[in-house]
Amino acid sequence: MTTPQPSTPSTDRARPARLSVSGVSKRFGAVRAIRHADMAVQPGTVHALVGENGAGKSTLIKILSGAETADAGTITFDGAPVSITSTHDAMALGIATVYQEPQLFAELTVSENVFTGRELTRGGRVDWAAQNAKVVELLDLLGLPARYATATVGGLSIAEQQQVSIAKALAGDAKVLILDEPSAILTDREVEVLFSVVRRLTAAGVSIIYISHRLDELFVIADEVTVMRDGQTIGTHPIADLDVRQIVELMVGGILDDARPDRAVPPGDPRLELRGLGLAGQFHDVDVSIRPGEIVALYGLIGSGVAEIGATVYGMARATAGTILVDGEPVRPRSPREAKDLGIALLPANRKEQGLFSFQPISFNISAGHLPLLSRLRVWVDRRREREVARSMISRLSVKTPHERQAVSALSGGNAQKVVLARQLVDRPRVLVLAEPTQGVDVGAKEEIHRIITQLADEGTAVLIVTSDLAEAIRIADRLQVVRAGTTTTEFGPGATQVDVLAAAAGAEDEQEVTA
Amino acid sequence: MSSSILTPAGRPDGEPAAVAPQDGGRQRLLPSPVTGQEMVLIVVIALLWLALSLATPAFFTSGSIVPLLVGMTPIALIGVGMTIVIITGGIDVSVGSIVMVCSVIVAQTMVGSGLPLPLAVLLAVAIGGVLGLVNGVLIAYGRVHAIIITFGTLNLFRFIGLQVFGSSTVEGIPRTLNFFGRGEAGRTLGIPHSFVIMLVIAALAWWYLRHTAGGRHFYAIGGDSQAARLAGISVRTRVLMAYVVTGLLAGLASCFVLAQGTSSLAANVGSGLELAVIAAVVIGGTSIIGGRGSVLGTVLGALLVQTVATGVTQLGWRSQLSDLFVGLFILIAVGADLIRQRTRRAS
Repeated sequence: MTTPQPSTPSTDRARPARLSVSGVSKRFGAVRAIRHADMAVQPGTVHALVGENGAGKSTLIKILSGAETADAGTITFDGAPVSITSTHDAMALGIATVYQEPQLFAELTVSENVFTGRELTRGGRVDWAAQNAKVVELLDLLGLPARYATATVGGLSIAEQQQVSIAKALAGDAKVLILDEPSAILTDREVEVLFSVVRRLTAAGVSIIYISHRLDELFVIADEVTVMRDGQTIGTHPIADLDVRQIVELMVGGILDDARPDRAVPPGDPRLELRGLGLAGQFHDVDVSIRPGEIVALYGLIGSGVAEIGATVYGMARATAGTILVDGEPVRPRSPREAKDLGIALLPANRKEQGLFSFQPISFNISAGHLPLLSRLRVWVDRRREREVARSMISRLSVKTPHERQAVSALSGGNAQKVVLARQLVDRPRVLVLAEPTQGVDVGAKEEIHRIITQLADEGTAVLIVTSDLAEAIRIADRLQVVRAGTTTTEFGPGATQVDVLAAAAGAEDEQEVTA
Repeated sequence: MSSSILTPAGRPDGEPAAVAPQDGGRQRLLPSPVTGQEMVLIVVIALLWLALSLATPAFFTSGSIVPLLVGMTPIALIGVGMTIVIITGGIDVSVGSIVMVCSVIVAQTMVGSGLPLPLAVLLAVAIGGVLGLVNGVLIAYGRVHAIIITFGTLNLFRFIGLQVFGSSTVEGIPRTLNFFGRGEAGRTLGIPHSFVIMLVIAALAWWYLRHTAGGRHFYAIGGDSQAARLAGISVRTRVLMAYVVTGLLAGLASCFVLAQGTSSLAANVGSGLELAVIAAVVIGGTSIIGGRGSVLGTVLGALLVQTVATGVTQLGWRSQLSDLFVGLFILIAVGADLIRQRTRRAS
């Protein structure tokens, strides 16, 4: 396997780069977020920026958007050195950013959100009509109805809010548009709309900096790609010179082994069984059986009801039909606490809201829920044991952090997910339910999380993975069951191909397309 | 540049851009100027007034309406500032102490030097502004929650006020401020001057918050201060401003409070006022977590709080019942806000 050397982009070299950074570095306290970054974005191109979580991508775009200031290095815009010390500076240059989490104001209308910070005014007051007219144009471009202009943002879905964020970025006559993981929360149809907007913008000369973990997308939309690793830019390549595998190898700095580990599930009676399980309005007649040491994946498209099945097993919703059996005993968990007492653990999908105490240290997050176990006479928390457990988990899961007292809010997405996982591993669960375990997590951390899950299964835990990531489901599961229209349908063994599973999940009559 | 991309002709399918629905004349670009909660308040107040005028014939006379309007004025006036503060996601529990410091200094200066009315007002407003600035600087730059900071300054200002008092009361205050009082000198055509001044200030604030970029930025900060910073809003300056405005208005309100009193001023002036003000703001529909609220609601909230107090007195009920009713109104208002947030999240 040869790794291509960085080459000069094939774009017209007579013009200076629209935006370039050279020798930029940034440290936060003791952490060197960026050691050395070089990147040149050409006019009218889509420039992908990739790297594992924690590689420095977010910090670099924060520097370009004025949210943070670089410690060293130079930034040039159309060949002239510029200083970006505030978001105002960046906006004045025409650099607009769409952040991963929509930066919107729930109580204000879409129109107001688009123009917050640069309102159109007439005679001292906001010119609502002019703002509205412009927003209606933008909404039309993004395929949203005009009536959204005066709707309150808090009433829109997350995907719609994401599109409002894009409208917001476009309203300022952007010359450079930074999109941070824009596709993570969009459906495939919405991604199509996004790409058509991106193409139209580049045709008009706008440069796009595109950050995504969905590497296959880059081959559809990007012209060039810059890879970052450990706070440094590794190089810039025309996208045509690379394939997904090569990009991943540049990101992780090694050769990727994506061969499925060969593992045999010991025979035995089922640990977890769902018989005809149903939840009114969500799913019905779900039959699943998992033996100790077995990993079963439930795969379904968004809206298929797959997400609610995991929540029901963990006692977050009460089944309206059917039974749940643990080791042959029927159980009816009415709350997460009861599920936990039955030996069922859950890794929630929405870890920011459901899984983490973000301002608390890692040790607190790991020991929460296990305090009786870590306490003297079950009353006083034994701080030393808490610390030891946290330290051993940090090293076992390779969480990247200086120490266990670090607040979780300072960790990258993948590392935060490992902390949630660590909490479930303190006392080895009999059944582990994982919902979207690697959503928004970079390739390296994904590998590690998969390894931990497999290891846990090897130790005898029955693992149920609920996921909409097909590659992951095929890779990790011993058996894969497809959920369609609220019920379990086809079952696949380890050798399934993505095409077969997708066909089963989407259904012959279903027109929804899915990028494999 | 983007105009070339955004014009309808640039659309690939060549369809004309969707036109906003013009439902019979002017299209509504903003949410209604009177929210549902404010409508409910108007109805509740109207019903209360109707009930009270039926129960006690004395209610609908100028002898009881004027004290009611004069009585609500300091609450509503400080409430204007408090609304802005709470919209930004903060709170100011020190306003009662600010009123105390301002009124005692003004009272003593008037006793000592026969200060004329304009200078008395200027002095009160200036002191209020300085104390508001103290709050604002600590909150904008201290990164500690406003309730802790202002709880600290509440005690600090009270200490300063008591030092100025020296003894427990100030006696023999001249009637310089009668222009703001409830007596004949405080009215024109039967309408209290202080009430009109409050209405004018509230109307200006209402317009500013609703129709200017600066006003909208308060809502943005309360909605998500980090996003507001990224949108290029100077969050610290805005937050600082909210507390200074509250201080200035508390200063002016202290003149109204002085005018309502007798020639002596007791050291407990202003105590508990902050709770009445926060009650008025919350009952008026301003969300305690920030990002939403209006001055109109606050003025209505203050009117409701004062109507309840007046009604309980006039009916000869025990005055504790007034606390009970205000407490219930607060819980209903906060409950309505919570239900609104929940249903939104669920949808």
